Amino acid sequence: MSESFSHLEMPDSVIARAQAGELAAFEQIYRRFERPVYTLALRMLGEPEAARDVLHDAMLKVFQRIGQYRNDAPFWAWLRQVATNETLMRLRREHPTESGDEADEVSDPGAPPWVRADALALERALGQLPAMTRSVLWMYHVEGYSHPEIAEFVGKTISFSKSQVARGTARLRDLLVPATESVSCRIQSSLAI
Amino acid sequence: MSNPKLPGNLMPLPEALRALPQVAPERSAWAQIAAELEAGNTQGAKITARPMHRVRTGARRRVRWMLPASLAAGLVLAFAAMAMLQHNGRHAPAIATVAQPAASSNANVANSANTLNVTNVANRDTPLEPGKGAQLHALQQHSQALEHWLRETSRSAAPLPGQDLAAATEIEDMIGLIDVQLGSSDRDGDLPLWRRRVALLEDLTALRYSRYSLAETGADAKSLTPTTWTN
Repeated sequence: MSESFSHLEMPDSVIARAQAGELAAFEQIYRRFERPVYTLALRMLGEPEAARDVLHDAMLKVFQRIGQYRNDAPFWAWLRQVATNETLMRLRREHPTESGDEADEVSDPGAPPWVRADALALERALGQLPAMTRSVLWMYHVEGYSHPEIAEFVGKTISFSKSQVARGTARLRDLLVPATESVSCRIQSSLAI
Repeated sequence: MSNPKLPGNLMPLPEALRALPQVAPERSAWAQIAAELEAGNTQGAKITARPMHRVRTGARRRVRWMLPASLAAGLVLAFAAMAMLQHNGRHAPAIATVAQPAASSNANVANSANTLNVTNVANRDTPLEPGKGAQLHALQQHSQALEHWLRETSRSAAPLPGQDLAAATEIEDMIGLIDVQLGSSDRDGDLPLWRRRVALLEDLTALRYSRYSLAETGADAKSLTPTTWTN
């Protein structure tokens, strides 16, 4: 599951060996985080080759700076932030016109819809969203970033982040109509936009 | 790629998204990363020749350490740059505050990514307007001075905490992106891009300076501090 990114801690000893320049330690870190980083990039970008480039660049960047890392924050959080930045950088480069309009705020749709957990259908529907919408949706729902954090990441307003999540959610609901039951879920108010 | 554990159960959208399976790349990137790590070292970042589409990393390295001048000369240039900018009035660069390097960085990258039609100053073939030329020169000099300070202090700076390190990494990315734009675009946007570049370097300098002051060479930090910030 994608959420397991945050459960992947690295022993301090491995970090220390990597900081000492031991290649085997780098490989250990790479193996541990390959899938979470690649998955994050792939879900946001929707392009396997671009996601692989992000994986390469993010890993290399972290390895090159690992000597500066102090374990006062989880290693995965740092790596995830680097990977997210790399992904958004690529998104901006390759989809420069897809910035969305900040003023066009979508009304609060309430709690997210319930959908059938058909991974294939969900992946297909995700692939039909605009890249920026998909990325914001992923950062919000899966990576757990707040709207202010997402606004910082993408260099937009909080309203932009909210509207992208609302639009993306509504679009996904439409795309998944055959497999989704219109269940008005009001029980998870903490997930409301 | 259906999740066998969840055969069509109804669940909230966020949960369904999180339940999507993780994916591995068709080809592992490790061999390439290992080769590049072995070719350089992990801090010095001497990276081997890379495919053309990876020009950004090269640009980033170039940004960081490409200007081997003396620190004293760099500071003199910085003073000169600011003097010229002030003289030229309304186009003074947008100076980032030292208090919020991380907060300003994301806005910077968005703005820089949206600023496209700029030119490669190294390849210009017609003269700029007099005022613009002076501003551009001043910005380039200031940029050089800041880069030089970063280089001089990097070896003795204290390690960065996680949040600062992430911010520094992000700022370096943004500078790399601007360099790519400077290297491939038309001339009209030169000044905005160079202003953005200088602002980012100042953010990075502020970030590094706070750690450098805490390192053993703290006494020297003051004397090495770029004196052209606008706080």
